Amino acid sequence: MAVADPIVFGAVADRPARVRRGMRMGVWELGGIVVLVLISLIAIFAPLLAPHSTTQPIAVGPFAAPGHGSLLGTDDLGRDILSRTLYGIRSTWLSALAVVGSGIIIGSIIGTVAAMAGGFIDTVLMRTTDLFLALPGPVLAIVAVVALGPSLPHTLLAVGVVWWPWYARIVRGEVRALLARPHVDAARLAGASNFSLARRHLLPGAFPAVLVTGSLDIGNLVLTLSGLSFLGLGAPPPTPELGAMTANGLTYLFGQPWVALVPACAVFVLAFAANLAGDGVRDLLDAV
Amino acid sequence: MLTATRPTPPIEEAPTPSVPALEVKDLHITFPGGVQALRGVDLTVGRGEVVGLVGESGSGKTVLGLAALGLLPTKAIVTGTAALSGIDMVGAPEEVRRQARRDHAGAVFQDPMTSLNPTMRIGRQVAEASGSIESAIDLLDRAGIPDPQRRIKQYPHELSGGLRQRVMIAMAIAGSPDLVVADEPTTALDVTVQSQILNLFRELRDATTSFIFVTHDLAVAREVADRIVVLYGGRVAEIGPTEDVLRAPTHPYTAALLHARLGRHSRRGEPLPTLPGEPPDPRHPAEGCAFAARCSHAEEKCTTALPVLEVTSPTRSVACVRRDEIGAHVTKLRVIESWPAAPEFTSELALQMRGITKAFGRGSARRVAVDALDLDVRKGSCVALVGESGCGKTTTLRMAVGLEKPDDGTVETGRGNPPQLVFQDAGASLTPWLRIGDLMEEPLRNAGLPAKERGQRVKDTLALVGLPDAVADARGAELSGGQRQRVALARAVLIPPTLLACDEPISALDVSLAAVVLNLLGRLSRELGMAMLFVTHDLGAARFVSDEIAVMAGGIVVERGATEEVLAAPTNDATRELLAAVPDFEAAR
Repeated sequence: MAVADPIVFGAVADRPARVRRGMRMGVWELGGIVVLVLISLIAIFAPLLAPHSTTQPIAVGPFAAPGHGSLLGTDDLGRDILSRTLYGIRSTWLSALAVVGSGIIIGSIIGTVAAMAGGFIDTVLMRTTDLFLALPGPVLAIVAVVALGPSLPHTLLAVGVVWWPWYARIVRGEVRALLARPHVDAARLAGASNFSLARRHLLPGAFPAVLVTGSLDIGNLVLTLSGLSFLGLGAPPPTPELGAMTANGLTYLFGQPWVALVPACAVFVLAFAANLAGDGVRDLLDAV
Repeated sequence: MLTATRPTPPIEEAPTPSVPALEVKDLHITFPGGVQALRGVDLTVGRGEVVGLVGESGSGKTVLGLAALGLLPTKAIVTGTAALSGIDMVGAPEEVRRQARRDHAGAVFQDPMTSLNPTMRIGRQVAEASGSIESAIDLLDRAGIPDPQRRIKQYPHELSGGLRQRVMIAMAIAGSPDLVVADEPTTALDVTVQSQILNLFRELRDATTSFIFVTHDLAVAREVADRIVVLYGGRVAEIGPTEDVLRAPTHPYTAALLHARLGRHSRRGEPLPTLPGEPPDPRHPAEGCAFAARCSHAEEKCTTALPVLEVTSPTRSVACVRRDEIGAHVTKLRVIESWPAAPEFTSELALQMRGITKAFGRGSARRVAVDALDLDVRKGSCVALVGESGCGKTTTLRMAVGLEKPDDGTVETGRGNPPQLVFQDAGASLTPWLRIGDLMEEPLRNAGLPAKERGQRVKDTLALVGLPDAVADARGAELSGGQRQRVALARAVLIPPTLLACDEPISALDVSLAAVVLNLLGRLSRELGMAMLFVTHDLGAARFVSDEIAVMAGGIVVERGATEEVLAAPTNDATRELLAAVPDFEAAR
């Protein structure tokens, strides 16, 4: 530090990091984050926002066009598409968050243990991770649904099983890099146990990389879950799910396009906003 | 790159010999965020002259070097001129500057590995600068690289640090540039390699190429420079011929730098004279003299009037408001602290290492770092472990504190609290996302101290190293370099260890900060009765702190004994080599 003045002066780097990072984010990324916050609110408050039941026909009858007694129209059974889409967003979005969340938790534990233990344990854990990486998620989901019966938890279980290995790899890499840093030696000399070393001195350093991956991953997951639901591998009908609703609406695409297009657009907006927000989060954290 | 309204100066024709290699006039550079790196610098570098640019971190010396090369970040706000062979390197458009760099300039930086292309053979890289492989071989030969015919086929990673720096120098002098800027070119090197590279610079100087040699160490500048320019707080404090400045400094800061430096005059067992206070904050420069707050000659007028560089003799200039009053009577630094008496030696050991062996890698890559080493440190004493990099001294140190397990042999530490380590890079030893208070409470909590007492203990220990309580709420990055050093020391002595191990604690520090850290180590070891194991390649520091010295080479101790005796009459070649390599201006006086 003292030997050579860095080209960018210390004091420049010392500026409150938030200011510098904030300037790096573009309008699109910011928009993505705003939309995602709105979507999260919709997901949480869908039961309050939905004007009608998701499973019972409403008074206007089937195939009502948008605006004619129902904001986004009704489907083949006369159910309110707006209400069903709101609930669909809720289930897709919360499922994606749950899978990424479980992936981060499981991956962090396995990655940290592997990196800190090293040697044989590291080899065993990482080869196991590779094994899970080799499993094709959709195929596993089909197997799970066939074996256990169609339900959302079964689909999530199947996807969750193949989703954590990415995080285990990232966390292991980050933790290994951090282990070589002097502050870890200093913490050891301060008498830190392995657990507190991991919790206080290693994981917070790995977290930015995990968060960036996770936020870029969510859009991916929205598409995977919607795709599985589209193939009939999600919750059984009449549960409102975006993929299943789109699949159902395809039959009427030329006569009553809104039945398929409304849930499809919801998937598109969800995935697009998640990707933009992921870029935004990366911009925020990459500056560190 | 700068204020866009600036008119483009006319591109000059081939410079005549009368044009100085570099002419800097009233140069101000401010970075976004308000860092005023340079605040009005005037400097002329004549043809064939070697100028030593000396100052501490943040003094602006590197920025001045970059300005001369036209390499300032585009966001910098610049006024004034820095003319390289007549071409304004801060005002001209990028293409003009690039052409000027190619025709008239060369650069050598601290870390050659980051400046060399790792995927390209040495020969091609040098040939890119010189024009042909034949001339590249010739240049490598001039840069003192043995067997250049063979070396041109090698990649940078195949060369040692010293050879890589020679390659950089060969590239810098390709095409006989008018000016070569060398920024701390020897700081990352071993002492012995450093002295070889300094010799090379002396050999390379000729009538056409000028050098700007940027360094924080006056003794290094003395080895190569004709003139010394002392920078402080973004302004020139003093300019003069090297020998004159070192023999009779006229600026109080120069005098302080000279006096705070470890040397033969430094007395063991007594504190070093130090500069009080902290370096100036480049975001909020003082209204008057930047040095006034730390200057023992400062008066009222120093804090209000900005001192201007004035010529005091045909060859010398100084920027000091009181230069006439102080004249040649610039006083030396005062010793501000006093130490308690050193504890009595006992025969009891704080550290006993027997038959320690440690190897890294497996199979053909296996390298023995430490080979059947014995080492004792008695309670209350200080042992310096010296040697070149790669001799195994750091590995030994890590085994002594238990961070590394020896493959063979035993390590026993004396009764009492477990050993602690002071890291070479104090900043990196602080977990970046944790507050200093959290970091310091951690060992206390692990030792089972009740929560109520921890806060008080942290405050007391911070006070012991001269830091205010508020530091506990900061994170490492928010502190100055000096504060980080103190925090790292405070953390190591929270629970006073039987043995305090120090890994090159001053090798990366400015002279004034190094003196502060050495004083702290000396005082704390006495007050807390700690034994010290002090790893260094700097025999000056070893002489100052240690009672005994152990010289390592190739994983074994080749010479050991009382410090004074070993240094006065070394019996081993490795020791003699280390001794000869220490740049020391007193020896030649």
